[in-house]
Amino acid sequence: MGISKDRIKFNVGGRLFETTATTLANAGRDSFFGALFDDEWNLSPQDSVIFVDRNSDCFAVLLDLLRTGDLNVPANIPERLLHREASFYGLLDHVRTARWGPFDGNRLRLSDSVKGIAPGDGTAIRAGPDGGCCVAHGSVVHVFDWMLEEHSPINLDYQRVNDVGWIDSENIVLSACERLGRGDGGMGLFSSSSGDLRYKFQVCHENQVKSYTAGALSFSPDYEIFASCKGRSNEYGIGVWDQITGKQTDFFYESPGWSLGDADKLQWLNGKNCLLVATLFPRKDNCYISLLDFRDKNMVWSWSDIGSPMAIDEKRVRDAIAMEDSNSICVVNEFEDLGFIDLRMYGGSVRWSSRSKLMKSKMPDEPCYPKLALHEGQLFSSMNDSISVFCGPDWVLTSRLRRSYGGSICDFSIGGDRLFALHSEENVFDVWETPPPPII
Amino acid sequence: MEQKILVRDQESSSSPSSSFFFFYLCSSTFKNLFTEAKNTIPNPNPIIPLSPVSKMSNQKKRNFQIEAFKHRVVVDPKYADKTWQILERAIHQIYNQDASGLSFEELYRNAYNMVLHKFGEKLYSGFIATMTAHLKEKSKLIEAAQGGSFLEELNKKWNEHNKALEMIRDILMYMDRTYIESTKKTHVHPMGLNLWRDNVVHFPKIHTRLLNTLLDLVQKERTGEVIDRGLMRNVIKMFMDLGESVYQEDFEKPFLEASSEFYKVESQEFIESCDCGDYLKKAEKRLTEEIDRVAHYLDPKSEEKITSVVEKEMIANHMQRLVHMENSGLVNMLLNDKYEDLGRMYNLFRRVTNGLLTVRDVMTSHLREMGKQLVTDPEKSKDPVEYVQRLLDERDKYDKVINTAFGNDKTFQNALNSSFEYFINLNARSPEFISLFVDDKLRKGLKGITDVDVEVILDKVMMLFRYLQEKDVFEKYYKQHLAKRLLSGKTVSDDAERSLIVKLKTECGYQFTSKLEGMFTDMKTSEDTMRGFYGSHPELSEGPTLIVQVLTTGSWPTQPAVPCNLPAEVSVLCEKFRSYYLGTHTGRRLSWQTNMGTADIKAVFGKGQKHELNVSTFQMCVLMLFNNSDRLSYKEIEQATEIPAPDLKRCLQSLACVKGKNVIKKEPMSKDIGEEDSFFVNDKFTSKFYKVKIGTVVAQKETEPEKQETRQRVEEDRKPQIEAAIVRIMKSRKILDHNNIIAEVTKQLQPRFLANPTEIKKRIESLIERDFLERDSTDRKLYRYLA
Repeated sequence: MGISKDRIKFNVGGRLFETTATTLANAGRDSFFGALFDDEWNLSPQDSVIFVDRNSDCFAVLLDLLRTGDLNVPANIPERLLHREASFYGLLDHVRTARWGPFDGNRLRLSDSVKGIAPGDGTAIRAGPDGGCCVAHGSVVHVFDWMLEEHSPINLDYQRVNDVGWIDSENIVLSACERLGRGDGGMGLFSSSSGDLRYKFQVCHENQVKSYTAGALSFSPDYEIFASCKGRSNEYGIGVWDQITGKQTDFFYESPGWSLGDADKLQWLNGKNCLLVATLFPRKDNCYISLLDFRDKNMVWSWSDIGSPMAIDEKRVRDAIAMEDSNSICVVNEFEDLGFIDLRMYGGSVRWSSRSKLMKSKMPDEPCYPKLALHEGQLFSSMNDSISVFCGPDWVLTSRLRRSYGGSICDFSIGGDRLFALHSEENVFDVWETPPPPII
Repeated sequence: MEQKILVRDQESSSSPSSSFFFFYLCSSTFKNLFTEAKNTIPNPNPIIPLSPVSKMSNQKKRNFQIEAFKHRVVVDPKYADKTWQILERAIHQIYNQDASGLSFEELYRNAYNMVLHKFGEKLYSGFIATMTAHLKEKSKLIEAAQGGSFLEELNKKWNEHNKALEMIRDILMYMDRTYIESTKKTHVHPMGLNLWRDNVVHFPKIHTRLLNTLLDLVQKERTGEVIDRGLMRNVIKMFMDLGESVYQEDFEKPFLEASSEFYKVESQEFIESCDCGDYLKKAEKRLTEEIDRVAHYLDPKSEEKITSVVEKEMIANHMQRLVHMENSGLVNMLLNDKYEDLGRMYNLFRRVTNGLLTVRDVMTSHLREMGKQLVTDPEKSKDPVEYVQRLLDERDKYDKVINTAFGNDKTFQNALNSSFEYFINLNARSPEFISLFVDDKLRKGLKGITDVDVEVILDKVMMLFRYLQEKDVFEKYYKQHLAKRLLSGKTVSDDAERSLIVKLKTECGYQFTSKLEGMFTDMKTSEDTMRGFYGSHPELSEGPTLIVQVLTTGSWPTQPAVPCNLPAEVSVLCEKFRSYYLGTHTGRRLSWQTNMGTADIKAVFGKGQKHELNVSTFQMCVLMLFNNSDRLSYKEIEQATEIPAPDLKRCLQSLACVKGKNVIKKEPMSKDIGEEDSFFVNDKFTSKFYKVKIGTVVAQKETEPEKQETRQRVEEDRKPQIEAAIVRIMKSRKILDHNNIIAEVTKQLQPRFLANPTEIKKRIESLIERDFLERDSTDRKLYRYLA
């Protein structure tokens, strides 16, 4: 094929464009351009200029995206319009991939802030797999796609939402409190685009369906859902459901004196085939962390601060996260001191690294408890209005994400190559992204 | 086209057409624009999105009315219908292959707009309805196709549909990506396939006809006709494209059933008319045909299923009959070395459960039967060498069968081994014969054969040796035969001898061969001793030469020393040697084994012919007597030599009665030696050779009493071994019951011989008597070890 034959002319909304079939081939077969140049639609040579009845400014941006893989949006083009146009051409995925790069905690930059309508104190924020997120607030869950467009909220009619999780970009699982005398509550699967209830997860005890309150959630790559459950007749423990069939597959009843049904945090450990369950102060007077093996219904590891001598500065564990690579559990107290417990020893003690003594002097009036997250060897810890990033085997503080608006961070979540931080005031959340890789 | 722009009627808001979302400014110019642009959607500005109607309250309606007065908002309720009509017409054109005039951009944009303006549902259901209508039309055309053109028509229409579906999907791409995604409906492409399946493939008048046509074609191909495989492949590919379940339900299952029926009938025909080899050839051909068929036009996943049908119908169901078929079954193939047929049988039978088991069982029973005849036939066991050679030949043959036809299958090798083990031990003389075979080979058979070949023969012998249960009996015989070989200097190759000993050692351990090796050492030491003897007696270089081999008692097979009177010349030498030997070694005792010696004598006969006679010691004693007298009677000889009568008789027989070697004559002339016979030198003795070897008339095989004796000796030797085993086991176990002890002892002694339970019991009793063991006081079946 000669070079001239490769050339293609467009008239988009009155403006002329010239490009090549090679450039347009970058759009892929499942796009407007892919179909347009399919042999079936025999574009006759007379059609030297192809007319497209769309916005020409956006076309220019998207054409550049196909040419270079970079997205450069002039200030005069509203995001929404660009997304609308990209959606027309079937190039939304291209826009999304060009928008931000692979996640790196040390290269994050604030890309957006979304202000909610509620006055503050959100329950949880969860990043979706494709860059969207959802924010739980009382009985409502607001769902945002990766363009940060809000979809129909999920409204639970006065039941308080305890935790949220994404099954995939289309489906969200909610765990909610049971309402006395109504028999509802528990766990449900909702559509992220329409907010409709798709499925309700049930708990059976001795072949009888029971109503329950669901707490913390976790998901395994084997399509299992774990949730801490509090049943009506004191059936406390961890329930397990199959993501595909929706059926309950297992239930780990809590042993006396060891809180599982009240857990603040669940974390599935794929390498160990275990579930980490952490029930922490102030929900309970003491902290309980355990690893459960569901195959033989065994608590394979546990730790608790019952009976441990209380230090003067009262270091209480506020969040915990298992780090399988270093065989330890990282915990954090209200002063953002990190502590480590060895997983290889049964009943080991916490090795605190009091690194941030300075913080204590300037505690805000309304503190939020620290939260922990782990992403590809980087440890994230939120405290007040900032998130610290720790790296390396000794967990050195390498970055701190802070923005002076919105007050303390009450929750944050990493997913879809983005970090979402929910502030306690005004229900505002920040979106942190890694910029696309440099040109050279 | 007449278009109306209506002022929105408040009262009609409850009618279905009230769910539109667009309002247009009403103006007369607008109307013109609208009627002119027939195929494009009017795109008036501004577009005012509004909240869904259902949320409007009466209160808001009133407010709206006031605004309407200002703006005069007009809407087009037919908007969606019109857009859809454009798309519908395009779909028609695509199906009618008249798409060249269509503008993709326009159609794409229209479909996009419909979805954008929340008419996704209308677009989706419209597309389904239009496509369904088209497919119904097509199915009628396909149905109308006559005879052979039916499949072609179907294939043509299918290709058209695929092409159209592709284009329709292109147009509806935006709907596919957004509306269908969020409502979880079936995507356009799979939906198009489903519609084809429901309206064409499952159309009652096509469904069975299609299946029958396909099955007919397969049937035709099976009977040798050439069919259009390309068309076949395309149609089958259609089933596969429609989904695995469609392929399986609508084609594969009936196909397998029909095949099963076909092969059931055919295999019945074949088995009545063909012999086993031919049948297998046909079955193999059918199998490759089916595999070929799968490769050409079926789903690769069907291969396993169709081959299992053929396997079941053609092989599994006729397995027994095939194997046992008279004059052509497995036994016949084995007898006639039909390696190709055997290989075919193996490869086919391997495919079915218990197939190989059947083959193996028949082979084993045939082998055992054949082997049993071989070893028990008294005719065949007359010649030990022949007997062993036959065993080796059989073994070689079956080795080859397993190697070439049965893919060196381990289980077959095991079956072969166990069969040989079974029948070799049926003949109690097998150990002796094998030893004799070795003896024969090492005496003379190995001349002119390379070392490699020697190894091969020895290895084969070892294989037979492995089958023996009574390895100690073999050892006994082997010792005797080796002794004879060594002493008579008849062993051909020292290397070959040692090589076999090494093999036996690896097989049975040091213990087994230590005595055999001792024999070799004795031979070597004797050489040194002789050198020393003649070195210290230089005066002996004159006169007769004496060569003595000193044998250690125990290492060699014990034979009663038969005394005889040696000629004076020799006995003087013997005495000298005795004093030399006892002088150099202390605490030893020498006894002469005259029955095992040989002598070379120089003799001059009547006409001056000189010969060197190679004779046994006994013969030498007899011949020497004739130096002093011409004629001697049997009695005189017996008296002078004191050789025991049977030995003397044999010795005289070989001197006087063997033609060509009769150095003495006897009277009367007869074959046997009588007590009254008299002997004289045969002056007329002639021979072509200077050296004449006079053998002793002796059967190579053992005589009956000798056999008994060997047996007895073996039994005697076993006793301490059994006892040692019992003690070893009891030492570690301390307490053991009777049955277990028998089992363990038998197991421990297996490599050497098969211990007889009664003998073990006797040994236990003997050990109890000697206070090595005791019976448990409460349970008489329990034995206790006494330290």
